[in-house]
Amino acid sequence: MMRDETTRLGPMALSALVALALAVIPLPAVIDAFRPDFLVLVVFYWSIESPRTGGLGLAFVAGLALDVVHGVVLGQHALALTLTAAWATHLRLRLRVFSLLSQSLTIFALLTAYQFVLFWIDGATGNPVTTFSRWLAPVIGALLWPLLAGLLSRSHER
Amino acid sequence: MVAFRNNDASGRTSGLLLRCVLYSLLALGLIIFDKRYDQLGHLRRFLSVAAYPVQVAVASPFEGWDWFRESITTRESLRADKAKLEAQLRLANFRLQRYEALEAESQRLRALRDNTAGVAERFVIGNIMDLDLDAFRERVLVDKGANDGIYVGQAVLDSGGVFGQVARVGQLTSEVILLSDASHAIPVQINRNGLRTIAVGTGDMAHLKLPYLSTSADVVAGDLLVTSGLGGGFPAGYPVGTVAEVKRDPAQSLAEVDVRPAAALDRSRELMFVWLKPNNPVANATVAAAPALAPGVKPPANPATKTAANPGGKAPAAAGAKAPAAPPPHPGATPP
Repeated sequence: MMRDETTRLGPMALSALVALALAVIPLPAVIDAFRPDFLVLVVFYWSIESPRTGGLGLAFVAGLALDVVHGVVLGQHALALTLTAAWATHLRLRLRVFSLLSQSLTIFALLTAYQFVLFWIDGATGNPVTTFSRWLAPVIGALLWPLLAGLLSRSHER
Repeated sequence: MVAFRNNDASGRTSGLLLRCVLYSLLALGLIIFDKRYDQLGHLRRFLSVAAYPVQVAVASPFEGWDWFRESITTRESLRADKAKLEAQLRLANFRLQRYEALEAESQRLRALRDNTAGVAERFVIGNIMDLDLDAFRERVLVDKGANDGIYVGQAVLDSGGVFGQVARVGQLTSEVILLSDASHAIPVQINRNGLRTIAVGTGDMAHLKLPYLSTSADVVAGDLLVTSGLGGGFPAGYPVGTVAEVKRDPAQSLAEVDVRPAAALDRSRELMFVWLKPNNPVANATVAAAPALAPGVKPPANPATKTAANPGGKAPAAAGAKAPAAPPPHPGATPP
């Protein structure tokens, strides 16, 4: 059991770093608005798969990293990610037995909640972003979930 | 396919709620301290240094590709480039011939009128790092930071005109907010008749707008807008954009004016950071208005004083990203 927990640290850190890089990689402006929140999906995966190694600590640190690279008010992504990762951890036993479709739908709800917290803090700190396209990221993210979860589960299961 | 293991199904996540509340309070505290009290500059700088390797790792392949493409350009295209650049240089030199004389004359006239426009003194070139910061805000990351003396509110130009201003400074990098960001405003003047107003970003890199001009204001398509230098953050007389279209609706009191920015906001790679002249009239005016603040005395917590380029210290810092629009907007302000 203990060995299991520590062998996941490697894939966890690596996947989080890659996802962080994907969050700032330059894309053409046309598809930039469609960029899914890779790091958020990765944090959700580890919150569900191994909440004791990953969990809220990972969520908080990843959120802080997003705040820094996006140059927004410190704590914004950290708060949103902490709250939704806690929700994902709470749902994890159910999520594991869900079909892929139900998993994706749940992830969609989580991503929308995440986006809503960001939206709310944007408004509260005085830089509201009211374009409709910000609500597209959850849809893309949910569609991407089966692929990403499959990939990540390969990374630490033999 | 996606089978989560059930080996820690019994694993307790006891205290999930407690930990969630703790982390959330920590994050909320960060938000409040960062936003309300502006106290996290050091933490942010430290974190931005930690993020630097990731940013470089992401940006370098793209820069490498650019370098590769440049290094395999053919002799013919290089010759064509050279001919084009020489022609440009000839034209620029031709225009420069009278520049010195004109500048001196303009300085004399400004002194006569006690004009409060800033004058650019020193430039530092920075390169835009090839990164997307935020899909919904117009910002770029540049590879010059506090180590090079960059300060918040500093004016940034490209070869075409005004590009934006520094919104945030890290140790090695800084964030520049573009003219076209919806939250950015810059004091401008119509070159033809001196009419002062404020150009505001639209969130679209190809457009700015002039929201404070009345329908009777003297503005026509093709007018060149230059910085007025009021507010102190920007040097005076640099091109901001040209008026593309003026819509006058008789039912409205304000005209709708569409402006094309002069800077290549979506194409520039190199930017110039500008330091205003130390004894610029703005600084002097500030000092005169507050005699207690002698030129040698450093006002506390003013990042501008570190550069020593601005002993008066007040002007650029006062025009931070939050309040670049220092002069109050007078709809239909009359030219001086």
